[in-house]
Amino acid sequence: MDKPPLALDPNFSGASEDFPALLRRKGLLQVAPEPTAAAGGHSFVPTESTTILAFKFAGGVLVAGDRRATAGNTVVYDRADKVLEIDRYSIMAIAGVPATAWEMARVLEHSFQFFRRTQLQEMSVDGKVRALSKLLRDNFGFVIQGVGIVVPIFATYDRNSKPEARLYFYDAMGAQFEVTDYAATGSGSPAVRGILYYENNWGAKKLQELNEDEAIAIALRALDTAAEADTSTGGVDRSGKIFPLIKIVSRDGITTLPEEQIAGIFKQRVA
Amino acid sequence: MIEEPYRWVEAIANRREYVETQLAQGSPIAAVGYRDGILFLTIGRRSRQKLYEIYDRIAMGAIGHPGDIERLRLAAIELASTEGFTRSAADVSLRRLAHYSLSPVMKSAFEQVYGPPYLARLLFAEIGSTPKEDLFLSVDYDGSIAADGPSAQPRQRFAVLSGSKASSQLMEKFLQQNHATDAQLADALTLAADAWAVGQMALGENAIKELPERDAIRKHRDEQLTNSGIEAAVLERDRKSAIRYRPLAEEELRANLQR
Repeated sequence: MDKPPLALDPNFSGASEDFPALLRRKGLLQVAPEPTAAAGGHSFVPTESTTILAFKFAGGVLVAGDRRATAGNTVVYDRADKVLEIDRYSIMAIAGVPATAWEMARVLEHSFQFFRRTQLQEMSVDGKVRALSKLLRDNFGFVIQGVGIVVPIFATYDRNSKPEARLYFYDAMGAQFEVTDYAATGSGSPAVRGILYYENNWGAKKLQELNEDEAIAIALRALDTAAEADTSTGGVDRSGKIFPLIKIVSRDGITTLPEEQIAGIFKQRVA
Repeated sequence: MIEEPYRWVEAIANRREYVETQLAQGSPIAAVGYRDGILFLTIGRRSRQKLYEIYDRIAMGAIGHPGDIERLRLAAIELASTEGFTRSAADVSLRRLAHYSLSPVMKSAFEQVYGPPYLARLLFAEIGSTPKEDLFLSVDYDGSIAADGPSAQPRQRFAVLSGSKASSQLMEKFLQQNHATDAQLADALTLAADAWAVGQMALGENAIKELPERDAIRKHRDEQLTNSGIEAAVLERDRKSAIRYRPLAEEELRANLQR
């Protein structure tokens, strides 16, 4: 017992201090720049260093994410899973702080399962979408303080709804937006959004008419484009043979595409 | 009145008789191991579900009062989910769930004669990564536990639940003679439905005492099936998803029953 418990720490200022403030004081937290009057109070730039995209195609919804995890300028991990299965028909893809995002995914997974087991029925799409919204909203205090921002995409498939494939993106405060064709989030997303918009309007086929191989090719091209200009996006690592993670949610549930299939299509249509 | 030990024993005996009478009409449930997992099956009123998913690898069947079953079912789900969330799904254990949580609660409700006992019998199965690790376990209204799992004793890889002791003993006898652990699902369905019929014939006023011939069993089964629903669920060992529980659709079940 060298150190006194936190409450007895003479430097601890009690109720006026919150957990992020404590972390900051102990030097355990990278300090987000304080809003300054000169910058009009808008100097706070949250980081969502990654690229996630999702679009509807003929076989369901495709969700893809690169594998790079960064801390500032450092690449800390090159095999991160940012496309997470929540239940048999729901995928959450994350841009933002992994610790918070993975915890959110865990909470969602358990709450959907708990609902199904206790209520003896599947939670509705609206219920699931709201549940994620609530988690983001509850997390917003941390976001303001510069930690724990998460900006997810949520894709699900419900045979009882019209349309059956549903795709949503969120903002950091928890507002959900349903999209008809595609969504992208993360630091590399502007490039991806441009590509998907272009493909959907002037491409050989509309996104919703693409078959699986064509859809995968476009997802890979879009991520490769994002990685070209964005240091935080891994894209396709040609030497390390690390490919983006692609999952498809359809009438039959979720399929994770095997790496060989992605590699084959990459070689054929992208490289 | 019950301050005297003798009175307490008498009160418990009365209570046991009362609970047994209440449970006596419960439609049997059979749980049998087959090649790819464990099958739960029962036949009865369509309006009432009797088989439930508790956690990724745990299923439950129950007979008794719906209110009591519901309370115990929710308690089991909550305990398993809390453990699974704070640690991991692999740390959820049916043995611990039954021995440390359900059994003591049911025992004290039964023995505290001022309060109501649980009118319920529960049958659980937990699927392991190999057939050796499968566990069948039942908890009775007085908290007593019967288990068939990894142990020194020879395994039988099936378990039954019924309204009376005579009925479940006859079902067990039937399964001991006919159960094959490497059966296909369709064969396991027929076996479980036949076991159900045996158990049902051993209940009520004209209860049979000995195992009937196969034809008599199937005749009784098909007669009962015209007016009742058939309910079944499986725990599948090699499912891709972590959730091993899958309810079976009634049409699929009826099509697979052998005449």
